[in-house]
Amino acid sequence: MQDIVKNFNYKKILSDKRALVILGIVISIIGIIVAVTDPVRFQILITSVSEGSFYALAALGIGLLFGVLRLINFAYGDWVMLAGYALILPSTAVTSTLIIGSFHPVLIVLIIIGFTVLLSVLSESTVFRPMRNTNPAIMMIASFALGYVLQNLTIMIYGGRPKSAGIFEELTQTVDLAEGVSVPLLKIITIGVTAVLLILLTLFLHRTRIGIQMRAAAEDFRMARMLGVRANFVIAMAFVISGFLASFVSLMYVTQIGILTFRMGTPIIVFAFIATVIGGMGSLVGSVVGGMVVGVSSVVLKNILPGSIRGFSDAFVFGIVIAILLARPQGLVPAKSARERV
Amino acid sequence: MDKVLLHVEGITVHYGRLAAVRDVSITVNEGEIVCVVGPNGAGKSTTLLSISGVLNPSSGNIVFSGEKINGIRPEIVARKGISQVPEGRHVFTTLSVEENLRIGAQIRKDRAEIEKDIKRVQELFPILGERRRQSAGKLSGGEQQMLVIGRALLTKPKIMTIDEPSLGLAPNIVDRVYEVLTTLREERGMTLLIVEQSSERALKAADRLYVIRNGEIQIEGKASELQDGEKIRQAYFGFNDEKNTVAEASS
Repeated sequence: MQDIVKNFNYKKILSDKRALVILGIVISIIGIIVAVTDPVRFQILITSVSEGSFYALAALGIGLLFGVLRLINFAYGDWVMLAGYALILPSTAVTSTLIIGSFHPVLIVLIIIGFTVLLSVLSESTVFRPMRNTNPAIMMIASFALGYVLQNLTIMIYGGRPKSAGIFEELTQTVDLAEGVSVPLLKIITIGVTAVLLILLTLFLHRTRIGIQMRAAAEDFRMARMLGVRANFVIAMAFVISGFLASFVSLMYVTQIGILTFRMGTPIIVFAFIATVIGGMGSLVGSVVGGMVVGVSSVVLKNILPGSIRGFSDAFVFGIVIAILLARPQGLVPAKSARERV
Repeated sequence: MDKVLLHVEGITVHYGRLAAVRDVSITVNEGEIVCVVGPNGAGKSTTLLSISGVLNPSSGNIVFSGEKINGIRPEIVARKGISQVPEGRHVFTTLSVEENLRIGAQIRKDRAEIEKDIKRVQELFPILGERRRQSAGKLSGGEQQMLVIGRALLTKPKIMTIDEPSLGLAPNIVDRVYEVLTTLREERGMTLLIVEQSSERALKAADRLYVIRNGEIQIEGKASELQDGEKIRQAYFGFNDEKNTVAEASS
């Protein structure tokens, strides 16, 4: 017994892939068992998984571009922000007027997807394409610059004051799932939409020619090109998908908050970026896992910490992040290319 | 007279200010196996990467089927019919064996032919058929070498360039690789440009060979004329050449 205690090494467990998967499953099962015994805890479970799904989607949008292009895209949060502003009338007036946001829900979703994909593709062709052969640090700085430009354009067109934008307001109403368990419909929809998008993305990456080319390019871009994979096309596709994901992140966020500010993208990108780092830069599974870890721990901590320190729950989230990175600097599910690049 | 397929005309390639190869010329005729032999750092890989469009020569030309191709992007070069098997194999480890093969075929439009060619590659290397659903990272080094040769074949190239097919493989597997390469030429008339460190291997496989050292071609000739090996050794190591011996000793 003493030997086991002496030999217990948390770094060893975290560095072994199989042990890590088992650990993840065990934590999830304990979490579910603890949750189903009590309605309040069950509510926390739903809310935290929903928050995790949200960050998983956001992290995927960043992780995908990093995988293909080695670009850490900090302008991603500002795509999300602009997609929100696209719902309202462009004016600096104090009260906002919904334009696209007042259309039929299906139309809203389609237009916002189109808008964000276009924004993403335009960012690629005007900013990132000319910089593609520079190093990743320069591209990252360019993404900061793009973000600032987008934020200041927003201030110019819409003014700097927060604006209200209530869309899908019926989704913020709560529904009773069971005796004493009532959660906003939006939380459940967030989980559902994320699940559907993840399945679609997986099918796309594994079953289509373009998807397989993208995976090949993410692992070894030069080799893929030497086999005739078109660099411009694959990169453009990555931006299309990243923009597509950003539109859903934006719709979910705006529905939840109902208020637009030109800085609203910043907290999203910070958490999503952290999620991709602890998940393993460039690994898509890692992005999802990282998003879940960040989202779930953030909600759970907000609920279980004693009231006096509850306001500092983010500090505890970052504490968990630091602990994970100390034990696994390569991330929880590292990408192949990051390890094997010579 | 032989028909020239690929002609590298006096290329010089720089990494920054350093010239990795200087005024290198190589000719490959249709249906030939040509080997480029030389020690580590001689400029062999640089030459191949330039042919594939990954590197851009600062001077000189690369002419393929009568068309100048230097300065063209690698994906276009591949589409013109030059397929490279680079050093270190570069299988896509996260893709399955079959997906790796299909990546090779994705530039082609002839769907029915593609399926036939995949079958043919799987007959040539049965292991690729048996393990087609496994991820390519799980294959052994020798099997990975087979996979990348098969993948390159599926682009339906006019010429294959292969960078050190023997790197890191057991001698009996290297024998098998060369056996396959010669079969390709015999049965399909494939043109091959092979880079190799071992001059013995090269002499056995090649019709003609070039010896490159310090970024410059030292000698070239028919394999049959270079069989005694003494000339190659001199060119390869630079012995019996006072100037180079001094340079070698001081470096």
